Amino acid sequence: MMQKVMINAPLNRVEGDLEIRTEVDGGRVSDAWCSGTMYRGFEKILAGRGPLDGLVITPRICGICTTSHLTAAVKALDMIAGVFPPPNAVRIRNLTLMAEHIQSDMRHAFLMFAADLVNPAYRDVPLFDEAVRRYQPFKGETVIETIKETKKVLEIIAIVGGEWPHSSYMVPGGIVSNPASGDLMECLLLLKQYRSWYEKRILGCSLERWLDVRSSSDIDVWLEENNLHRESDLGFYIRFAREIGLDRIGRGHGNFISYGSLDIPEGTKVKGKGKHLVASGFAQGIKVTDFSHEKILEHVSHSWFMDYNGGRHPFNGETIPYASGRESGKYSWAKSPRYDALPAETGPLAEMITAENPLFTDLVSRTGPSAFTRELARISRPAYLMPAMEAWILESVSDGKFYTSPEEIIEGKGYGVTQASRGALGHWVQIENGAITHYQIITPTAWNASPRDSNGTRGPLEEALIGTEIKDPSNPVELGHVVRSFDCCLVCTVHTVNRGKEIGRVKVGAAIL
Amino acid sequence: MKRIICIGNRLVPEDSAGPAVYDLLKQQELPLDIEAIDGGVAGLNLLRFVEGAECVVFVDKVNGFGKPNEVVILESAEASTAAENTHSHSAGLPYLLRIIPEVCEGKIPHISLVGIEGHPNEALIDEAAAIALKIAGDGKSSHITGF
Repeated sequence: MMQKVMINAPLNRVEGDLEIRTEVDGGRVSDAWCSGTMYRGFEKILAGRGPLDGLVITPRICGICTTSHLTAAVKALDMIAGVFPPPNAVRIRNLTLMAEHIQSDMRHAFLMFAADLVNPAYRDVPLFDEAVRRYQPFKGETVIETIKETKKVLEIIAIVGGEWPHSSYMVPGGIVSNPASGDLMECLLLLKQYRSWYEKRILGCSLERWLDVRSSSDIDVWLEENNLHRESDLGFYIRFAREIGLDRIGRGHGNFISYGSLDIPEGTKVKGKGKHLVASGFAQGIKVTDFSHEKILEHVSHSWFMDYNGGRHPFNGETIPYASGRESGKYSWAKSPRYDALPAETGPLAEMITAENPLFTDLVSRTGPSAFTRELARISRPAYLMPAMEAWILESVSDGKFYTSPEEIIEGKGYGVTQASRGALGHWVQIENGAITHYQIITPTAWNASPRDSNGTRGPLEEALIGTEIKDPSNPVELGHVVRSFDCCLVCTVHTVNRGKEIGRVKVGAAIL
Repeated sequence: MKRIICIGNRLVPEDSAGPAVYDLLKQQELPLDIEAIDGGVAGLNLLRFVEGAECVVFVDKVNGFGKPNEVVILESAEASTAAENTHSHSAGLPYLLRIIPEVCEGKIPHISLVGIEGHPNEALIDEAAAIALKIAGDGKSSHITGF
């Protein structure tokens, strides 16, 4: 008789407010449920406040994605005010958002994701000792270097934003500061230092050489090209991931969404796709179609919110808590966003696919998405962003034009969509009589870690867990790989210091059947 | 420079003690060598404020270190025992305190934590602000008396 077991995995390094419950049948995950365990209700906080309050409040939703929320909030207000920031303001806004991405990508890869490579489950893997030397928490060589380098690059935001953390320096029509050339040169120096470290430590080669890797077979050529490639953290990641089969787990629906990000400013030499450096689009497999925010609907059938039929566009969405326990199958405080009625994953891999990046298109066309490919996209993303960052700093001549004064915002409706480090982020805002009457936020983790929708379709992460082989139910490290490959973040919450360690718990429930 | 770094999320009432202390300090004329910083929920990103400081006093909500509605003073080592074994998006202050000896550039400043137990009220906020100022003024927490 086949035995089913339930594994409840409140995983640390996923986020404190996300729990994963899986059903394991015959040693493989047969079903999964993602549960956001905390009601957040930012929409309620913002209702009734002044139109500009979102610029101060939403960057405080999260300590990691502060610039991403600021970007989405200000773009919504730009739209409502009908104002277009001057090109230099666009450059500076982009620069700070990209600084957030390139630090977040490295921290996730080497402080969070790589921590699972030193799990005792891999003690017999030949590369294990080297993984411990690099990624042992608090001690690993790459861990320490990553913390030291990523703290510096974030100074870019402080320099041009004039405030850190939780900057609110973007305003409708531009930015509040007029960066002096000395400030910009300091930013350039910080960026060049970061790039130098990234090339030497992470890639083991120049950005250009890695960007020339355009297919799965190119990866093999690159790995064998020289020892610097093999021994870099990227090279090591590829070798270790292949050894433990990360390319064979975490497939999911194979749908991808990117809202598009980093507006191309007028007069720049940087080439993007359409209006953005990071392309917008929706893809099923590698077939990409244009993105329209109107195709987004949020479902609440399995979420602890008052029911409505089907899905609603965020302009018409409601956030009315309805804590019902397990009644009617509800199991999460996250809603279920769907695009054209389909679940879609978001993040660096989705950005690569919707941009029709040759390497990632090739990888996904061969085997579908995987935990390996998602993290590879994340480790690679700074290589795609840093050249544009350098160009935009150099182009941001201090000509005094960083702001276009808008009319006072009294009435209107608008949305701001962008790509946060973890993927598609949108704010939908309505203003009436000089006050916010409606504010809906869809975060990247809402896409990735959503519960089932009103059609009963699993969310992307839930689906990605299906079929995952669990070798040891008491140490289901495989679940950790898949979950963390999405870089879920439901952190936006309470950060108190608690006596006693809250470590990841894994409970194996009673066997059934 | 001596720094008082107030931690917390002002959007969440039970985590708003640190921001409340910050708001109170900003209403006061602080000594020229003491700087109050709204640390929000920046966690590891606060490392830059630690480096180069003469001393650092964190102010944050705590659980389990004292009685309800009490202000406690913790040394860095004690507070860092609350750190998870690895980094996460919600790693917060304990992770920062534990990693500082490994990554801090330059001399590690004296670090203490003024912790607020229980639901923050006006009296607790006043007391925490006064203690933080006292510790920062002295540059250390070993001779706190009179609170």
